[in-house]
Amino acid sequence: MSDLAIRAVQLSKQYRIGAAKYRHNTLRDQLADGVKSLFRLRNRRKRDKNTIWALKDVSFEVKQGEVLGIIGLNGAGKSTLLKLLSRITEPTEGRAEIYGRVGSLLEVGTGFSFELTGRENIYLNGAILGMKKAEIERKFGEIVEFSELEKFIETPLKHYSSGMYVRLAFAVAAHLDPDILLIDEVLSVGDLSFQRKCMQHAKRLQKRNATVLVVSHNMFSIKALCERVIYLSQGRIRVDGSPAEAIELYERESRLHIAPWAQRVVGGEQDRQGIYVTDMQLLDESGHRRSVFDYGDRMRVRIRFNAVEKILSPNFNVSFIRSDNVACCNYNTAMDGVTISCVFGEGSIELLTPPLKLTAELYTAHVMVWDDKYERLYSAQVGDTFHVRHDVLNTHFGVFHESAEWLGVPDGDKASRMKMSGGVER
Amino acid sequence: MLAEGFVRFESTAKPEARSIPPPSNDGEAVEALPIVIRPSTGFLHLDLRAIWQYRELLYFLVWREVKVRYKQTVIGMAWAIFQPLMMMVIFTVIFGRFANIPSDGLPYPIFAYAAILPWNYFSEAVARSGRSLVTDANLLRKVYFPRLIIPMAAVLSPIVDFLFALVVLFGMMVWFGIAPTRGAAALPVFFFLAMCTALAVGLWLSALNVRYRDIGHVIPFVVQLWMYASPVAYPVSMVPENLRVIYGLNPIAGVVEGFRWGLLGKDNPDFQVIAVSAVIVMALLVSGLIFFKQMERTFADVV
Repeated sequence: MSDLAIRAVQLSKQYRIGAAKYRHNTLRDQLADGVKSLFRLRNRRKRDKNTIWALKDVSFEVKQGEVLGIIGLNGAGKSTLLKLLSRITEPTEGRAEIYGRVGSLLEVGTGFSFELTGRENIYLNGAILGMKKAEIERKFGEIVEFSELEKFIETPLKHYSSGMYVRLAFAVAAHLDPDILLIDEVLSVGDLSFQRKCMQHAKRLQKRNATVLVVSHNMFSIKALCERVIYLSQGRIRVDGSPAEAIELYERESRLHIAPWAQRVVGGEQDRQGIYVTDMQLLDESGHRRSVFDYGDRMRVRIRFNAVEKILSPNFNVSFIRSDNVACCNYNTAMDGVTISCVFGEGSIELLTPPLKLTAELYTAHVMVWDDKYERLYSAQVGDTFHVRHDVLNTHFGVFHESAEWLGVPDGDKASRMKMSGGVER
Repeated sequence: MLAEGFVRFESTAKPEARSIPPPSNDGEAVEALPIVIRPSTGFLHLDLRAIWQYRELLYFLVWREVKVRYKQTVIGMAWAIFQPLMMMVIFTVIFGRFANIPSDGLPYPIFAYAAILPWNYFSEAVARSGRSLVTDANLLRKVYFPRLIIPMAAVLSPIVDFLFALVVLFGMMVWFGIAPTRGAAALPVFFFLAMCTALAVGLWLSALNVRYRDIGHVIPFVVQLWMYASPVAYPVSMVPENLRVIYGLNPIAGVVEGFRWGLLGKDNPDFQVIAVSAVIVMALLVSGLIFFKQMERTFADVV
C-alpha cells in the first residue's frame, strides 16, 4: 500500500455514438432539457441504446517506479484509459486513486501557438503541461539544447518544419518531471534518430524511479521499455502480465486486423466489404514458414481469401511497412500483368518476391485488395512481422540497397605503378 | 480483498499516512493525496484552490492572447486606441450631429467615449470568452486543468487594451477641461462589475457553445443588440421613467452610468439602475458558475 502509484478499481467509460446524440424536436425542448440537467442527480445515459463501453471494469494497481505498457488495437480503450487517469474526462463507473503528481503526454505540442516564437512556446507549452514558470526558466537552457534548435529559438513557430516542431515539442515534454508520467504514442512520431533519442529519454525516466504508463502500437518500444504490459481489447483487460505474454496474445488475436489507416474506408472489424483475407503466411523459397529472412532471399507470401460477393478485376497488393511506419515496397498483381477477371467464394493466391533488397530491419507485411484501377479499396489488413538480416546494410544505408553497374572505374594497377616510379607514366 | 479496500476508502475522509514522494514542484503544496477519480454526483463545488494552483497557467493564457493579438501588425498596440477613437468619431457624427441626441450637458465626443471604453472591454470579453472553449478544444481534449481558467483568461486579456484606451480618455478629459469627481474612486468597482458580467455571460455562452455551436454564430449579433440596449450612444435620461427598472436589468447600463458619473461628473447618477444591475450580475454569475461546472464533465467528450 505504501508504495502504490495508481490504483484503478472497475474503471468504466461509456460513450454515446452516432450523430443522433441529443435528438430534440424544438428549441424549447433543448432549453428545457438543459435546465433539467442542472438538477439531474443520477446519470440516465446507461439506458440509451446508441452507446458503447469504451472501457469496462478495468482494475489494476501500479507501484511507484514501475513502467507499464498498454497495448491493444485501435478502439480498445487505451487512450480513454489515459484520459481518465489524467482527469480529462470522468469515468462513468468505477474509481481510480492517484498517489503523486501526474504529467500527461497525450500529444506533442499541445497548445503551441504558431504566431509565437520557439522561446515563447516553450514557456506556454511548459505551463500547459503543468510546469511552474520558475521550473521552466531553470530548465530553459537544457530544453533548447535537447531540441537542437538554438539558432531558431527566436523564430515564430509557423516557420518551423514539421520535424523541428516535433523536436521542440518533445524537448519541452521531456523535461516534465512528474511522479507519474502517462504517454500516449508520442514516441512513434518523428524520424528514426529522433525516436532513438526518445527511447534514451524513456530509459532515463526509468532510472529516476518515475512511474510510467506507455501506450504504443510499436511492440519493439514496448518490449524495450516495459516490465509489465496490459493488453486491452474492446475496453477490457485481456492480459496483465509480462510483456512476452501480453504481446504474444495481442499478436495472435490481432492477426489480419484491418489496418488503422484504412478503417474509415473499409470499415471496422465487423463490416467487411465484399472480400477479405483470411490467412497470410510468410515462407521462404522452399516453402517453410519463417520470420527472419536474409537480404537477397526470395519470400513467398501465401494468401487465402474469402470473397462473399463477386469481385471483378481484383488487384492483390502486398506492402512491406517498416517498424517506424515507413512504407518500403509494394508488389501487386495489376502492375505485374496478372489479370484476374473475377473472384467469388474462398480462394488463394501466392506471391513470390524477387530477391529482397530491403535493409536489415523489422517489417510488417500488409495485404490489400484493390480493384485494378486503384479506385476502390476492398480490404487492407495487417499481417505478420518479419526481420531482414544483413551484417552491414542497416537502415542508415536507406530503405533498400541493390547492386548496380559502375563505369569508368579507375585502374588500380596503373595507379600503383605510377607511385613506384615516382613520375607520370606515359 | 479489493472490495474491503473499496469500502474502507468510501467511508473514511482521510487516507492513512504513507510515504508521500517529495514534492517535485518547487515546494508548492500539493493537492491532498490520493487524488480520487470517480463519477461526480450532484452539484460540483467550486474548487478555488485548484484555480489558485493553476494561476500561472491563467497568466500564460492571458499573455498568449495579448502577444498574439497584435503580432505582425504595423501599428501594433495602437489598434487598442484606434478602434474606440474611430467609434467615437462615427457616433459623434451620426448620433451627436445628425440625430442630435442629447448628452447630459457634456460634449458629445467625450460623453460617448467614456461609455465606449467600458463597452469595448465588455464586448471583447464576451466575444472571446464565448468562443474560448471551442477555440482551445485541443487543450480540453489533451490536458488537465480547471476548465474555468479558459473563460477567465478570455475575460482578463482585453484589460490591456482597455488600459491603453483609458490613457486616451484621460488625455481627452484634459483637452475638454473636465475634472473627475469623487466618484472616480469607484471606477474600479464599476469595472469589476463589467468584468463579472462578462465572465457570467461568458460562462453561460462558452459552456453552451461547446455542445450547440449555434451560440458561436449568435454572439456577434447578441453583442450588437446589447450595445443598443445600453446607454452608450445615448443617455439614460432618454429612457422613459416607467421603463427605467426594466432597462436597469441590463448590468452594463449600470457600468456605463458609473463610468460617466465617476469620470465626467454628471449631476444625477441613477443609483436605482446601478443597484438593480449589481443584483442581476451576481445572480447571473452564480448561476453561470453552476451551469459551467455541470457541463464541464462532458467538455472533453463533446467538444
